Amino acid sequence: MSHTEHHITSLKTLSIVFGALVFLTVFTVFTAQFDLGAFNVPLALAIALTKASLVVLIFMALIWDNKVNAVILAVGCLFVVVFISFILLDTEYRGDLSNTFEQTLMDERLEAERAAMGDTEAAESQAADH
Amino acid sequence: MSTPHSDQPAHVKHYFVSSEQQFDAAKMGMWLFLVTEILLFSGMFVAYTIYRSWHPETWAALSTALDWKLGGLNTIVLLGSSFTVALGIHHIQKGNKKGLIINLILTFLFAGVFLVVKYFEYSAKIEHGLLPGAAFDPHGISYGFDYATYNVPYGPQFFSIYFVMTGIHGFHVLVGMGLFAWITRKAIRGDFSAEYYTPVENCGLYWHLVDIIWIFLFPLLYLI
Amino acid sequence: MSHSANGMVNYLNHDKGIKSWLFTLDHKRIGIMYLVAVSLAFLAGGILALLVRIELLAPGETIMSADAYNQSFTLHAVLMIFAFIIPAIPAVMGNFALPIQLGAKDVAFPRLNLASFYIYLIGAAIAMSALIVGRIDGGWTFYTPYSTSIGDGILFVTAGVFVMGFSSILTGLNFIVTVHKMRAPGLTWNRLPLFIWSIYATSIVQVLATPVIGITVLLLFLEKAFQIGIFDPALGGDPVLFQHFFWFYSHPAVYIMILPAFGVVSDLMGTFSRHQVSGYKFVALSSVAIAFLGFLVWGHHMFVSGQSAVSSVVFSLITYLIGIPTGVKVINWVQTMYKGSVQFKSPMLYAIMFLFTFSIGGFTGIMLGVLAIDIHLHDTYFVVAHFHYVMMGGNVIAALGGLHYWWPKMTGKLYNETQAKIAAFLVFFGFNLTFFPQFIMGAQGMPRRYYDYLPQYEGYHQLSTYGSWVLGVGLFLIAYYLLVSVFKGKKAGLNPWGALTLEWTHTTTPPDHHNFLETPVVTRGAYDFHLARHLFEHGGEVTELEGMGDGASTLPETPATEDATV
Ligand code: HEM
Ligand SMILES: [Cu+2]
Repeated sequence: MSHTEHHITSLKTLSIVFGALVFLTVFTVFTAQFDLGAFNVPLALAIALTKASLVVLIFMALIWDNKVNAVILAVGCLFVVVFISFILLDTEYRGDLSNTFEQTLMDERLEAERAAMGDTEAAESQAADH
Repeated sequence: MSTPHSDQPAHVKHYFVSSEQQFDAAKMGMWLFLVTEILLFSGMFVAYTIYRSWHPETWAALSTALDWKLGGLNTIVLLGSSFTVALGIHHIQKGNKKGLIINLILTFLFAGVFLVVKYFEYSAKIEHGLLPGAAFDPHGISYGFDYATYNVPYGPQFFSIYFVMTGIHGFHVLVGMGLFAWITRKAIRGDFSAEYYTPVENCGLYWHLVDIIWIFLFPLLYLI
Repeated sequence: MSHSANGMVNYLNHDKGIKSWLFTLDHKRIGIMYLVAVSLAFLAGGILALLVRIELLAPGETIMSADAYNQSFTLHAVLMIFAFIIPAIPAVMGNFALPIQLGAKDVAFPRLNLASFYIYLIGAAIAMSALIVGRIDGGWTFYTPYSTSIGDGILFVTAGVFVMGFSSILTGLNFIVTVHKMRAPGLTWNRLPLFIWSIYATSIVQVLATPVIGITVLLLFLEKAFQIGIFDPALGGDPVLFQHFFWFYSHPAVYIMILPAFGVVSDLMGTFSRHQVSGYKFVALSSVAIAFLGFLVWGHHMFVSGQSAVSSVVFSLITYLIGIPTGVKVINWVQTMYKGSVQFKSPMLYAIMFLFTFSIGGFTGIMLGVLAIDIHLHDTYFVVAHFHYVMMGGNVIAALGGLHYWWPKMTGKLYNETQAKIAAFLVFFGFNLTFFPQFIMGAQGMPRRYYDYLPQYEGYHQLSTYGSWVLGVGLFLIAYYLLVSVFKGKKAGLNPWGALTLEWTHTTTPPDHHNFLETPVVTRGAYDFHLARHLFEHGGEVTELEGMGDGASTLPETPATEDATV
């Protein structure tokens, strides 16, 4: 049959990619030692994304594959982005109605935090009882 | 019974026109399945994102409670297993059945190592009460470190997310081991050849995805 | 070849015994098994609905306690949504007709297809067992923290929904691959029947959205079992986050319900208007557009949940956008009828009914999408009426149309057309009598999910309950004459409707086990009646298979259906 069409990735390419993946793992551990402030998360994510892309494109051979499979993956990822970003639109602006006082919200948050503390303390004392 | 495609190789099902059509269909089905997996995990990533953005201090503090050395080791182990799967497919594409079998067994073993490491990680967490939700109760001292300092607000959420994410991931590793045991057996029986290796290809795709999920989990949970 | 072209050997009788059904890989038989299963779910859900309506006949306790009432409407909804309406059209008619319309011998993964049927059964059984374990009374939406505060039954419901979700995913996945990879020679995307387009769009939604309900109910399960505190506010979790998760699936899920209905209606409009469906490409692509837009509006269920105002505004605006592709469809259907010559056979009656009822449902949906109006209408009977106009008036009416349309092909028998018309009228009248009063009392403030009510709503509730009886009679009449037709019905011809899709033009009635005697080659679009005049040369019913001139002998003459072209 026409299986000859299937792309065979050379051993050399596979090995190079594996090497790169290991290197990037070491690199992300290394960068995590430093506090880069706001860049901590984006950098870690960028490295992870690079690694994931290498796996997808070379190990999973998507780069040589039928384009429809790439579209499927892209659509899937798109909806993950939609999922996260639309929820952030709520959670990042929760309580933005003008009739909600800043103070009320802060009080509520403090109270919730205290409640959470209280709960864990209660759990602790319970554990101590045993 | 009509056998309209008797000129086809034995592995081609009667409702397919050609081996190529069957292979493409199976692979497309697998990619669709992988997308469902991605969306399943996305729920956990959403929960992670929301709680992290609400309680960044908790997240920064508690990521140190996870052992990056073990997490890093497991990352390398999983990357290695992805590599061996890719090698296995390379070999069978060239008709090297022995190369396939060796690499499948290696993959299976790597997956086992991953779970063993995970087991040690989990037991350490459980021992010190670093548990999800209501069970969260950090205590005990080891190597001069007092675990009670991990008792911060929203700590339970961090460990809920940690356990659910790694738990679902670990479950996928377990399923992967089952799959590799199955296709290793098939490979030893000589079912695969350069013409037909669809199950290997699809299990490989699945396995790479499991690897990719971990590629994200590792920095998000252990490092930052 | 053991095929005989005289219609004697077919997929129903080529193999006998219960095992030949339970282990079948034939998409047609799996479709029939789904038909039986979802009909039972519909029956169970329907009986619960009738009970709920009787309870509401008068204020105060009528036939059941408040507790029983809450459990009844919850179980009604869970059954209707997860066990009936989601699989109804795709798994029954999609399974039966989609591969044949594509000119394929089967779906791409027949084993997976059978597996998905059993997974569905197992899931439904688990969910039903919650009834025994007890006390599920928070409605089908399972909002936290209430849902985690009730008994352990919730564990079963969530597990059941999780499992049924798998079935839905596998069906969708199977259909997408089948549409991509298994089309007959000549069947280009532009020639696909609109039913296929809509099932294709539905499948996209199934594959992308269902995993999220999976993780949602899984987390809910863990929340209940281990108090993980993701959704439970008492443990520091966020209940609104649960609503986001839930509606990320459940709004797209309403398109899993309605898109297949659009497809059925498109096919019916084309066939019974004897005319190319107007704006074919727009109708086809609007399904895909709706599938995608449908993912961006879930927050319109949460306007009063306390989500941020910014997100409410965004969700509200995108909700209006959905009206555009939906309107495109409705307008094109009307134009198809206007340009064609309409035959008022019973399937077409349902298609026309659909135009009325679905449009009311859609327009009221847009009303609910308006922020200020929804504050007033949220959680009232207005919402109940809205979603019944889209789910019952949309999906179920279209499903009935589809069932009447494909019934002769599925069973080889014709049902009694007069009884079918009477039943159609009863369903239409009963449906509107049941649900229209709910708009009025909802707008006046009658809250939903209430056991008791103020005397001022009594008249509306009574009308609604009487309507439900008429509706019930209509549905039982349908069940009756369809069952009778299986045993006593007249033999159906090859193509009693004069339709142009492959299941009518290229298969025997009922179809052969392998669907086609020879692989069809498609040379025209699904509704190109002007290119298929030769089929209608003899006037009236089509009795010859297209492109079967040589190999197969013609089928015996069958009497034309009762109604001539109007
Ligand atoms: C034009 C299209 C549509 C629009 C703009 C729309 C809009 C809405 C809105 C805004 C709500 C929330 C009302 C509230 O809770 O206050 C709602 C509820 C609902 N809609 Fe729709 N809708 C549309 C079509 C559909 C379709 C096609 C279906 C199903 C086949 C459907 C099923 C439902 C259900 C089940 C609910 C109630 C959910 C619950 O709270 O239990 N809708 N719709
Ligand atoms: Cu909605």
